[in-house]
Amino acid sequence: MEIEFTLNGVRKRVQVEPNELLLNVLREKLYMTGTKYGCGIGECGACTVLLDGEPVLSCLVLAADVDGREVTTIEGLARGEELDEVQKAFVEEGAVQCGFCTPGFIITAKSLLMENPNPSEEEVREYIKGNLCRCTGYMNIVKAILRAAGVIPQTP
Amino acid sequence: MAEVEKQVERLLNSKDFVVIGKGIARVDSLEAVTGRLAFTGDLLPSNVLYVRPVRSTVPHALIKDIDFSAAKNIPGIVGIYTWRDIPGINDAGSLIPDRPFLAVDKVRHYGEAMAIIAGERPEAVDEAIGLVRVEYERLPAVFDPVEAMKPDAPKVHDKGNICRHMKIRKGDVEKGFQEADVIIENTYQTEFIDSVPPEPEIGLASPDQDGGITCIGSMQNPFDVRWKVADILGLPQEKVRVIQAATGGGFGPKSDETPIDVCAYAALVAYKTGRSAVSIMTRDEAMVTQAKRHKFIIKNKTGARSDGRLVAWESTLIEDTGAYISKGHLVIVRAIFHCAGPYDIPNVKADGYCVLTNNTFAGSTRGFGAPQAFFAAERQMDELARKLGMDPFELRLKNLLRRGSKTITSAEIEDDGLAMCAEWVYNNSEWVRKRREYEEFNRKTRGPIRKGIGVAMIYHGNTLGPEGEDFAYVDVSVDKDGKVSVRTGLTDFGTGAATGLLMIVAEELGVTLDKVRMERPDTSKVQNPGPTVASRVTAIGGRAAQEAASKIREKLKGVAAEMLGCPSERVVFREGRVYDSENPENKVSFEEVVSQAYRIGLELKETGYYIAPPTKWDEETGQGKPYNQYTYGAEVAEVEVDVETGLVKVVRITCAFDVGRIVNPIGLKDVVHGGTIMGMGQAIMERFIHEDGIVLTDNFSTYWIPTAVDSPEIIYHLIESPGPAGAYGAKAMGEIPVVPPPAAISNAVAHALGVPVKQIPLTPDRVLELVKRAGET
Repeated sequence: MEIEFTLNGVRKRVQVEPNELLLNVLREKLYMTGTKYGCGIGECGACTVLLDGEPVLSCLVLAADVDGREVTTIEGLARGEELDEVQKAFVEEGAVQCGFCTPGFIITAKSLLMENPNPSEEEVREYIKGNLCRCTGYMNIVKAILRAAGVIPQTP
Repeated sequence: MAEVEKQVERLLNSKDFVVIGKGIARVDSLEAVTGRLAFTGDLLPSNVLYVRPVRSTVPHALIKDIDFSAAKNIPGIVGIYTWRDIPGINDAGSLIPDRPFLAVDKVRHYGEAMAIIAGERPEAVDEAIGLVRVEYERLPAVFDPVEAMKPDAPKVHDKGNICRHMKIRKGDVEKGFQEADVIIENTYQTEFIDSVPPEPEIGLASPDQDGGITCIGSMQNPFDVRWKVADILGLPQEKVRVIQAATGGGFGPKSDETPIDVCAYAALVAYKTGRSAVSIMTRDEAMVTQAKRHKFIIKNKTGARSDGRLVAWESTLIEDTGAYISKGHLVIVRAIFHCAGPYDIPNVKADGYCVLTNNTFAGSTRGFGAPQAFFAAERQMDELARKLGMDPFELRLKNLLRRGSKTITSAEIEDDGLAMCAEWVYNNSEWVRKRREYEEFNRKTRGPIRKGIGVAMIYHGNTLGPEGEDFAYVDVSVDKDGKVSVRTGLTDFGTGAATGLLMIVAEELGVTLDKVRMERPDTSKVQNPGPTVASRVTAIGGRAAQEAASKIREKLKGVAAEMLGCPSERVVFREGRVYDSENPENKVSFEEVVSQAYRIGLELKETGYYIAPPTKWDEETGQGKPYNQYTYGAEVAEVEVDVETGLVKVVRITCAFDVGRIVNPIGLKDVVHGGTIMGMGQAIMERFIHEDGIVLTDNFSTYWIPTAVDSPEIIYHLIESPGPAGAYGAKAMGEIPVVPPPAAISNAVAHALGVPVKQIPLTPDRVLELVKRAGET
C-alpha cells in the first residue's frame, strides 16, 4: 500500500506493507537512520519519534497508521546548521556518551518541553523514564534538559 | 626517547595544562545529537543479504539431525550453511579456542549457533529459521558451579569442569587465625548480569575485489575480530579488513565473542555469495548470547584482634563461567587478587576456581570480577565490625592499605591515594552523624521506611597486569595545513577514550583541540594496538599518543628555532602559537612552522609505542607484583528500604576516586555517574535468570536496568595521586566506579534492616526475606 505523510516538514510518499513498522520504514526506505532499534518491544525508547507532536515508539507503530500525519525524527530538529536548544544542551552538558540512545532522549525531551516548558527535576526524570541509557547514569541528561528549558544555567 | 621521558617528567610535575584537565564534551557528540553518528546499521547497502543463525533451544544435547528441507523453500532464502561449509577453522573463542563457531555434533548452552541462514529479507530468514527441525539427544547438564566441581558432575567439555584454579598464599593463615580474637565466616553470592550495551551486536561484511573481505561492526577490538574472521574463512589476516563503526556501548561483551560471531556470520555469507551481508542481533538474541558478568559464590573467613586489626583472611571463590571459558580464566585472576579488600593483612590464603556449567557463557564485563569480590569482602568487613562492636568506617581506617603497606600479593603500595579517598568521603558523607541519626530514626519510626548508610572501599589493579601484554600503538600525523590526525586501533564505544587521546595529542603539540581529529579504527591503516579493555586507553594508549605527538613536536622545534632565531630548547608550543620562552612576542603560528617543515622535506608522521613494565607473580602462591599501579576509591551509600514492599531506594552516593591525573573532567564525570548507576543496578535490580539453562530474561521487560527515576544524587570527588604507568600519571578509571556500589549499597541495606546481606541483587522478594529474618531475631 502507498502512504503519504510529512516527515520533518517534507511530504513523503512511500510503498509499505500493511504490517510494516514505522521504525523500519524510516530507516530502510527513507534512510532516516537517526532513529534506532534498541529492543523491538517498546521498552527502551531508542526509536522515539514525534507523531503529530506526540512522542511514540516507532517500533510499535505501523507505518500505515502515519498516513496523512506528521512525523518528526532527530534529523528534523536542527534548522540547517543551527542546533535546537535541547541538542545544544546535550553536547555542552556531556549528556552524550556512546550516542546510541541520544536521538530517542532528545525527541522525548523535546516533547516534554513542548508540553511543559518549565519542568522540575522530578518531572524531567519521570517523563524520560521510558528511555534507557547505560552510559551516563542519566544525571547529565537531566541537567541538559533542565538547561535547555532555561531552568538551570550551564554547568561551569 | 630520553627527551620524550623528560617531557613526560616535566608534565607529570606540572599543573599547567592547556588542554588536559579542561572539560571537553565528547568529540563526536555533535554527530550524535543530530542523528548523523554512523553506527553499522546506518550504513547498509540496498542489496544487502540478511543473516541469522539457527540457535539451540536446549542447554546440553547431541545434535542427531538437522532438517532444512522446509526452510530451504522459503522464497528469498539464498543460502544455509553449517560447520561443513566453513573454509577455515571452526572456532569463535575470543582468546581460548574452546568454542565452535557453528556447533558440530553437540550444543553446550541454550542459544548456541548451529547453522546460519541468509536471505534477501529479514522476515524470510526468520521464517526459515522457524521451519528448521533439529533432533536432539538430551545430555545430563549442570547449572550450579558447586555441583559442576564434583568429580561425578556431567562434563561440559571433554576435560573436567574446573578450567582454572588460582591461589594466594601469603604468610601463615593457620597461625593468623590462632592469633585472632574473633573469627567470622560467611558465604556470599552474586548473580549473572547482562551489561546490555544499547546497540545490539551487528556485523556487515562485503567482498573486496581482490578476494578479501571488509567487515564493519560494533565492537571493542577490531584486531580480535579480524583474527577470528580470517581464521574462520581460511584467509590470511591481511585479506580481512575490519573497521569499527560508531559503537553503541561496549562494557566488555563487545571485546568478547559476539562481535566476532556477527562479523563472521556476515563474512561467511559474503565469501560464499560474493554479496554484502549483514548480521544484526535482535535484543533477545544479544541477551541470550553476549558474555555476562560472572556469577560468584565466595566464602570468606576472617580473623581479627579485638582492636580490629586484621590478622588472617581465607577466601574460596567459585566463578560460574557458563559453557565456554571466554575470559573467565582471567576474571578469576582479578577477582582473587582483590578478594580481601584494600587492606593490610599479614596472612592470606585464597583459592579461586573458574568453573564450566551449561549456562550461557560469561566473560568480560566492566569491573571484571572486582565488583563481586568487593561485595563479598566489604560485606564481610561490616559483619566483622558488628561482631567487634566497632564502627565499620573505623575498622576500615585501621586496616587500610597505605604507602608502604603490602597487598595480599605482598606488593608494596607506593602512594596514599586510598587514605585520601577515605578521608574525603568520611568528612563529606557526614558518616558519623547520619549513622547515628538513621539508627535513631529506625528505632522510633512507625512507618514502613528504614534508613541505612553503608561504606565500601576498593583498590583496582590497573590495566591488564596479569591479563596480557600491556602495550599500545598510536599514530599521529600533521598535514600541510596544520591539521592533526590521530590513528589507532584503540576504540571508543561511549567511554570518552578517543576524546582523551585527542586532548593528549593537542597538549603535546600545543594546538587547540579543534585542530586534532581521530580517524576511525581500521585494521588496514594501523597495527594491532592491543585490546581496548581493562580501562587502559587513556592511561596506556595515552602514553603512546604522548610519544607520537612529542616526537613530531621535537622535529618541529628545530624548524621553529630557526624561524624564531632562538635556541630550540627555548621554543614553546602553546594553543596554536610557537614562541621563544624568553621573548613571547617573538612568535609564529603552528601552521607556519608546519608549512616550513614541509618545505624543507620533513615527514610529520610518527608512531607512538608504549609498553607498561611487565608484571610478575608466582603461579603457586600469587605472590609478586601483578599490577603496576592501583586506582583507589571510597564510597558511602544511603538507602531507604520499604519493609512493606521490599523496595530499596538509593538516595545518595558520596564517593571519591584517586584517578592519578584528571585528563578530561567531563569524561570522568560521565564515567563516575554511569558506572555508579550500573553498579547500583547490580546491587538492587539486575538479575539475569537461567532456569535449567534456559534464559528467562531476554529483554528489558524482564531484565530491569536503572532508569532516570532510579538514579540517586551522586556527590563525587577526584583525587590526583599520580601513578608511574599512565599518561601524565593517569590511572585506569573507565571500569572502576562500577565496583563499589554493590558493596556500599548492600552494607547500607544491612544497616537499615539490622541483618546480614549475603546475596545480591537485593530485589523486593529478597528484601522481604531479610525483613522477616530481622523480625525473628
